Amino acid sequence: MRLLLVEDHVPLADELVAGLGRQGYAVDWLADGRDAAYQGACEPYDLIILDLGLPGKPGLEVLREWRAGGLTTPVLILTARDSWAERIEGLKTGADDYLSKPFHPEELNLRIQALLRRAHGLANQPQLEAAGLQLDEARQCVGRNGEWIELTAAEFRLLRYFMLHPGQLLSKTHLAEHLYDGEKERDSNVIEVHVNRLRGKLGREVIETRRGQGYRYNGAGG
Amino acid sequence: MIALQHRLSLGLVAVLLVVGLIFAQGSLWLFDLGLRRYLQNYLREEAEALLIAMVRGPQGLQLDEQRIGPGYQRPLSGHYFRIDFDDRVWRSRSLWDHTLPRPEAAGLQEGLSDGPSDQHLLVYRADYRRFGRELSISVAHDYTPVLDSFRRLRQLILWLGAGALLLIVLLQRWTVHRALRPLESARQQIAQLQSGQRGELDRDVPPELEPLVAQINHLLAHTESTLKRSRNALGNLGHALKTPLAVLLSLANREELQAHPDLQARLQEQLAQIEQLLARELGRARLAGEALPKARFDCAAELPGLFETLAMIHDRNLDLRWQAPPGLRLPWDREDLLELLGNLLDNACKWARGQVTLDIEPVETGFQLTIDDDGPGIAAEAREQVLDRGSRLDEQVPGHGLGLGIVRDIVDAWAGSLALEESPLGGLRVRILLPARGPDVR
Repeated sequence: MRLLLVEDHVPLADELVAGLGRQGYAVDWLADGRDAAYQGACEPYDLIILDLGLPGKPGLEVLREWRAGGLTTPVLILTARDSWAERIEGLKTGADDYLSKPFHPEELNLRIQALLRRAHGLANQPQLEAAGLQLDEARQCVGRNGEWIELTAAEFRLLRYFMLHPGQLLSKTHLAEHLYDGEKERDSNVIEVHVNRLRGKLGREVIETRRGQGYRYNGAGG
Repeated sequence: MIALQHRLSLGLVAVLLVVGLIFAQGSLWLFDLGLRRYLQNYLREEAEALLIAMVRGPQGLQLDEQRIGPGYQRPLSGHYFRIDFDDRVWRSRSLWDHTLPRPEAAGLQEGLSDGPSDQHLLVYRADYRRFGRELSISVAHDYTPVLDSFRRLRQLILWLGAGALLLIVLLQRWTVHRALRPLESARQQIAQLQSGQRGELDRDVPPELEPLVAQINHLLAHTESTLKRSRNALGNLGHALKTPLAVLLSLANREELQAHPDLQARLQEQLAQIEQLLARELGRARLAGEALPKARFDCAAELPGLFETLAMIHDRNLDLRWQAPPGLRLPWDREDLLELLGNLLDNACKWARGQVTLDIEPVETGFQLTIDDDGPGIAAEAREQVLDRGSRLDEQVPGHGLGLGIVRDIVDAWAGSLALEESPLGGLRVRILLPARGPDVR
């Protein structure tokens, strides 16, 4: 999952980047509204966390531009302006959720998870479930028939992405774009290694390889 | 204060009455004076004629009957005389059995003397010397017909005056009503302003009213911009305080601190207190309260957005409904009302099993807002306590929420009342009664 964080307060951004990294998200951080308006529209983010009081261009203006340009990425507004009038305005402009500062880090994680599930048509699930597997995002382990299997951070990220796109054909490049932030070296062989480890833990049939096209998640029932 | 219209009418009637009475009485008095002066000449001529009619006869002085007018012969004719000389008194036959008293001094007498058969007489006395004797001739003329015609004239003037007064007052009322029409329209516009149907007063008014209307509009704009500025400043302050607070909250949750659970718990507790206090006080400072801002709450325009937001925040297929008469506008600040309804509905949504409703209806004394949910509700004996604490109804549900605190602040600022009741849906009903603003909400 690749996230864009737009926040101009450096200490908070540092905290958020670190915290989100621990949650297995690849995070790009921007502090300027103009940069955000551009980069948010051309990079394939899975979710955007947007502060409203930004230098360069106000957050709402950035959001309006994204939506006018046809961007459908879920946007979570993170702001200290928490009156209902501002909240309504934010959601009318096209935000998908609104979290007011100060917030509990746990609350942010839950909102992000819920928003991602909702964006992939898996609403109303307390836990990510796809094709017979359950993913505990807090403990980063996967459950199958009541049995819990520990995952490494890299395996967890990869499996989460697969589970949010069940049955879809995903190329290595696509996976690399969504699993690593903009600064990391993207090596598709690393993905191959992690896919093989997941298969080792969960069984070969969980992820199917389509030669020359990519991978497809079939889950426990595949 | 007496209405301007009545004040103007009263003033006019008083002035007209005083002037009219003085004028009518004065002209009658002048006429009376002129008439008496004219009659004085006539009476003097009569006296002289009588003097001439006195001739020396065989038994001394006597009056030549041929020379005196017939009026002195006919009884009660209205023409009388009395001649005093030596110790004798001659009276005209017309006096009949009445005695005309001899006036004290010569000349026309000031007052009127009583004459026969209720006549009022104008008396003139002249003193002569003839035939070596002192003669005093008093001539009297009946003034009653003149008095009668004066009385009739006075009555006529009175009626005419009353009629004219009535006409003038009616005309004046009409004129004043026409002249005051812009004032009346300004009054209606101010009432509309207070009931929220209008944002500012019409600028198309007579020049006398222009400064007033301009000043009111200016004040409205000023209130609006002050409110906006202070809200903006509070927003910035909130931003400046809450962002570092968010960093602190995040730091307090760091894994490094989990080795010292005591320290972590105390940090988190203190931070939570700061957070609550900050939100409450900033929220309170944002309130427009009693101010009369331009932005009013248009139910049909605002409620759909609010409910969409609620549905998005509480993404669990709740049945959210609102109901308000079409075109209803509430005469309070838009943001305040959104804050009030947002907090209450948010609470209701947190507790509801499946249904939340909002009803807004105008009542005799103002507006009634009713929020119902089908959640667990609050036991009757606990409701009082919840209200007293102004406390968090939502303590047990995680996430944002100031509960009733800010709601109480808003309702208090508008002099409204808040009651917790049992909802027909099974859960809690919050009923808020907001008194209408201003003296006139027609």
